[in-house]
Amino acid sequence: MISYRRRKLTNAILVPVLAVISGLVVAGFLILFTDVSPFQAIWEMFRAGFGCRSLDRCALFTTLERSTPLLLTGLSAVIAFRTGMFSIGQEGQLMIGAIMAAWLGFAVDLPPIIHPLFVMLTAMTAAGLYGWVPGFLKVKLGVNEIISTIVLNDIAILFATYLVNFPLRADRGTTAYSPVIDETAKLLVFMPGSKWGIGFVIALAAAAAVYLYLWRSTPGYEQRMAGESSGFALFGGIRNDRAAIRGMVLSGAVAGLAGAIEVLGVHYRINQDFSLGLGFDGLAVAILGQVHPVGVVLVAILFAGVRLGAQLGLQFSFGIPRELGGSIIALVILFVAASRLYENNLERIQVWIDRLRGRKTAVEAAVEESG
Amino acid sequence: MENIVEITSSTKYFASSDVLANNQVDFAVRKGEVHALVGENGAGKTTLMNILYGLIKPDSGTIRFEGREVEVNHPDDALRLGIGMVHQHFKLVPSFSIAENIMLGMEPNRFGMLRKRDEIEAVRELADRFGLPVDPRTRIRDLPVGMQQRVEILKVLARDVKVLILDEPTAVLTPLEVTELMTVVRELARRGRTIIFITHKLVEVKEVADRVSVMRGGKMVGTAEVAETSIPDMARMMVGRQVILQIKKGTANPGEKVFEARNITVADSSGLPVVKNLSLHVRAGEILGVAGVSGNGQTELVEAVTGMRPVEGGAFFVNNHEITGTTVGERRRAGMAHIPEDRIRIGLNLETNLDENLVVSRYKLPTFNRFGFLLRGAMSRFAGEVVERFQIAAARPGDSIATLSGGNMQKVVLGRELSGDPKFIVANQPTRGLDVGSIEFVHQTLIEARDNGAAVLLVSVELEEIMSLSDRIAVIFRGQIAGEVDPDTVTVEEIGLLMGGSTLDGHAAGEAEEMQTEGAP
Repeated sequence: MISYRRRKLTNAILVPVLAVISGLVVAGFLILFTDVSPFQAIWEMFRAGFGCRSLDRCALFTTLERSTPLLLTGLSAVIAFRTGMFSIGQEGQLMIGAIMAAWLGFAVDLPPIIHPLFVMLTAMTAAGLYGWVPGFLKVKLGVNEIISTIVLNDIAILFATYLVNFPLRADRGTTAYSPVIDETAKLLVFMPGSKWGIGFVIALAAAAAVYLYLWRSTPGYEQRMAGESSGFALFGGIRNDRAAIRGMVLSGAVAGLAGAIEVLGVHYRINQDFSLGLGFDGLAVAILGQVHPVGVVLVAILFAGVRLGAQLGLQFSFGIPRELGGSIIALVILFVAASRLYENNLERIQVWIDRLRGRKTAVEAAVEESG
Repeated sequence: MENIVEITSSTKYFASSDVLANNQVDFAVRKGEVHALVGENGAGKTTLMNILYGLIKPDSGTIRFEGREVEVNHPDDALRLGIGMVHQHFKLVPSFSIAENIMLGMEPNRFGMLRKRDEIEAVRELADRFGLPVDPRTRIRDLPVGMQQRVEILKVLARDVKVLILDEPTAVLTPLEVTELMTVVRELARRGRTIIFITHKLVEVKEVADRVSVMRGGKMVGTAEVAETSIPDMARMMVGRQVILQIKKGTANPGEKVFEARNITVADSSGLPVVKNLSLHVRAGEILGVAGVSGNGQTELVEAVTGMRPVEGGAFFVNNHEITGTTVGERRRAGMAHIPEDRIRIGLNLETNLDENLVVSRYKLPTFNRFGFLLRGAMSRFAGEVVERFQIAAARPGDSIATLSGGNMQKVVLGRELSGDPKFIVANQPTRGLDVGSIEFVHQTLIEARDNGAAVLLVSVELEEIMSLSDRIAVIFRGQIAGEVDPDTVTVEEIGLLMGGSTLDGHAAGEAEEMQTEGAP
């Protein structure tokens, strides 16, 4: 029993750690094609992504700023996945939240603090409703949520393109932008030099709230039971259909919050290429973060840092394209997805660890225990 | 006589579930014998046979076949050597004919074109050779289970095997079909085949086997000549202690009618009606046993009764209130408890811990939540009480339940369902896959609930269980009640007839009405 639980825990840690290491090793081979030493490049990448030279030139702050939307879309995916809904609609829901924020950010006049709060709540409501659609379709008509959310993503993105090109277009420049939001709607920034601010704190609070909701509240309990074993939930008297719809609405609301914070705290307006895959990155963050809020916080920061490091450290210092950062993340995701392939080796690694620490291996212990 | 199969020191550890399924097991089978391999569920019998058949790779140990040491890494290797296995769950294509199933993968052909006539001829010849008559053209889906099993056996024999492994072959058969199978097994042995017969029913061992090997807890306890051992001896070897095979049960004091099903029709997942116009009732303080061969609508009936599946027609009543359209939650709040047949996927959620498993039917009670938040302390205390009251070994509040044994898992289910004194208990196969000790416990618990005034609807394919627990027995056949009998006066043969679709005077069920009108003096 104890050895089993220990192994489960080490696996939860070993899989992401091994995936990151494997990703970096393969990336190292890619770097070999340039004339930079892989060790130097990867060191430089981490320094540029997580280092801090002074308070106003601090890469870590930028990393935290950029981790904010990843964290929230990751949480959005956690809510959906834990409810048993494989929703990949974060991209579209984020877009709906961003649209609401870009519009209400200039269209209504409200005092500071009230204004962003109002905007964020409306954005969450709108995106929540947008999440309700695939939930409802799944429950009532059996429409696969993967397909419906993909379609809804496109609809939301095209809708935003239409809005910034026509009704919300601010000027006659070559690129279409919505108007800049009012000063009253902007979110507080902590340090000059980056947009790291209150949005990050809201995201952390959201992580805590998601944890409390899913693991401590009765509706969250219903959702997890429905997601982990729908047969068990039905048997126990839980309404699976309601849990699924609730999960989709909440998942949409959190993704919408990500979009609103991006507008209110970073860009202050939207253009047609606003999102750039933040929603899809959230899926990867959730999976690598073991579909748990704590994991999501850590992985979101890691992802943002690796990207920034690739941009600042590799591209600016060595002339290695910053896309390498994206490649490393992609490799890491690939290695996580392939963890089944090396699960046997995980066992073998466990045996090495046991031997190194002078312990008996699991087989030996089991044989001995039974006499 | 020489050994045809010799397994030495087979060890297999399943890390994912922390189970040592085989612990240095030695096992030898003589050429031409029927060798019974017995043990409780989880004793390691199936693991040992899967190792012999190449489905599982052991951590250590050797296999010798006809005196030579062999490597069996895949069922193909096993078949090439001449070792075949018939699994508990048949692997037949329902829409194919018998001949097509038997010859699957080795169809006679010329220039890539199938030769149907040769195929049918080959199967007919094979069936003759082993004295197992079948009609090669019949489709599998039209066959009763006993015949399907015969096809499975022929399919393996067609691969020209010397050793035939039968994994719990009687689990799905009616008593009559069991008798037929025993004859077939003896006949195959007489014709020079070696049979390994996996079972946990000791009566069958006595009936069919020459020698018996007993496993317990992953170890081989011993091998003996069947003629020289008794059933109690084998039972003791299996369980490791003296077992009481009879349960103590006082007479029932039935009270008011608690549950009633009136003309219920239920469809299965493909929309076909599998329960047809069925009526039954259960009174307070009695156990109604529903006997029948697996697959006669029991699963759907229970799902409909408990609210997990809608009915196509008819009505349910609890204490004379109609509950037909109500949800699972509403029925549970009205005092219904449900012990499902599948504890792994339905009865429990193995991904979460003991506490959360125990509150699934009661987390909405004020005891367990406040303002929508779960009261973890209360849940944990409740888990502690259940563990103590139901003696769930190896479980503490907050623990994962995925590593518990089947018996302890079932105790978790019982603990949840029987806490809070339910008025109406639906138990579907409550002892499936359990060891003898756990079966005793489940039976005692159900009888206690009955004595405390609960109405118990017990559905089981284990005739022995139905006979020893029930106060009344209803036999289900093709979704209908074929007859109701009194457990104190009925014989196994009589129930067997009803289970097989005949009436008690020996006619097929369909002819029954006709006979009644004509047969009147």
